[in-house]
Amino acid sequence: MVAHPELAAMVLADGRLPVGGHTQSSGLEPALLGGLAEGDAPALLRTRLRTVVRVEAGTAVVARHHVLAGLPLGDVQAAWAARTPSEVSRAASVAVGRGQRRLALRLWPGSAAGSALEELPAPARPVAVGAMAAAAGLDPAGTARLVAYDDAQTLSAAALKLCPLDPADATIWLLDAAPDLEEAVAAVAHLTEPRAIPAPAAPLLEQWQHHHPTHPRRLFSA
Amino acid sequence: MPDAGPSPTRALRLGVAGPVGTGKSSLIGMLCRELGDTLELGVVTNDIYTDEDARMLRAAGVLDPARIRAVETGACPHTAIRDDVSANLLAVEDLEADFAPLDLVLVESGGDNLTATFSPALVDAQVFVLDVAGGGDVVRKGGPGISRADLLVVNKTDLAPHVGVDAGLMARQGREARDGRPVIALSRTDRASVTALTSWVLGLLEEHRTGVHSPVDPGPMAPHSHADGTSHTHGGTGAHEH
Repeated sequence: MVAHPELAAMVLADGRLPVGGHTQSSGLEPALLGGLAEGDAPALLRTRLRTVVRVEAGTAVVARHHVLAGLPLGDVQAAWAARTPSEVSRAASVAVGRGQRRLALRLWPGSAAGSALEELPAPARPVAVGAMAAAAGLDPAGTARLVAYDDAQTLSAAALKLCPLDPADATIWLLDAAPDLEEAVAAVAHLTEPRAIPAPAAPLLEQWQHHHPTHPRRLFSA
Repeated sequence: MPDAGPSPTRALRLGVAGPVGTGKSSLIGMLCRELGDTLELGVVTNDIYTDEDARMLRAAGVLDPARIRAVETGACPHTAIRDDVSANLLAVEDLEADFAPLDLVLVESGGDNLTATFSPALVDAQVFVLDVAGGGDVVRKGGPGISRADLLVVNKTDLAPHVGVDAGLMARQGREARDGRPVIALSRTDRASVTALTSWVLGLLEEHRTGVHSPVDPGPMAPHSHADGTSHTHGGTGAHEH
């Protein structure tokens, strides 16, 4: 299946892609339950673009490169795990990563991405996304942008369920964050080595996510 | 490659859908209690907020707790059984792999509205559960699950006298709305109705194993009429916005 890379990017970025992504909020619900003020949601979005998203986007870019270079994905997954200290965060990522993997094996059977994912039954989300990006013909910057967009759009969409908010405002957050988003893309698009994936710390975000499963009333799993 | 369709060698996957509070978890508990000694069972529950239904079933002691998996569906219980079944499929496949060979996997939908139905990509057959306490007119209001699920259960018939509902009439209207598809008026205090339910499940399992059963999609919306006198179904030609 060969689609124009731009079309493929749209398909992969669409929230309706059947991979189970609707169960997550890009850390917004954990943050709000942890005490973040609702008005600070756009700041959280930008903080993620400087921290978590660089780990995720860098991981996806390197995973894409590994698939195209015929290298295994295990090293990439290990580098991602080393930068994602909470087992709760890792499990939430793998929950969607397995959905991505399942879909990738249906969409691109027999591809290099498919073979690489066959060997990794429980990929992290960005590892699986990077493999899909390789199969879909996305370039490194497009791969990083896909991950960053998905994170920001997931947060904005979840905000509509969690906060009293005009949906147009959430879309404005997303576009207002475009310069930060492009900085994140530029910071990782050239990467090829797992060890070069950025390792910024976001301990408060990790802590909020780590405690999320203990909250009794949740709409989202992460 | 994930398998593309049912084969006699894998478990029968049976969905249980219906509005909140109609007794989906209790029905699954009943099936585990009645069939757990003769069949290898697994259960996947769907909850919006929590793993409460899974915990309730585990606490009921009707099945090895490890055979009960919870899927948290986010804010969209219908999405997880219809538009994007990946989380549920993974849970079902994990159960089938961990306890192979299973005979029957029950997938409980999160409580939702009357239009929620399972995708045939997730289950081989589905039960739609209503209860008398929800009101006698719910069957008449209809919906794809009520009209075309493989089985309609009118639950808690023992409560009918207390809520002013004619359970017999409700079941009869269900049969009329379903073109002869089965309806069971169920109460846990009515032994004959419990046997009718387990017999239906065992019959379905036999059809699944012999390859006779083929999944039928109840569809996203019941056929309906418009003020101009036309009537139609959705999903084919003539689909439109409501």
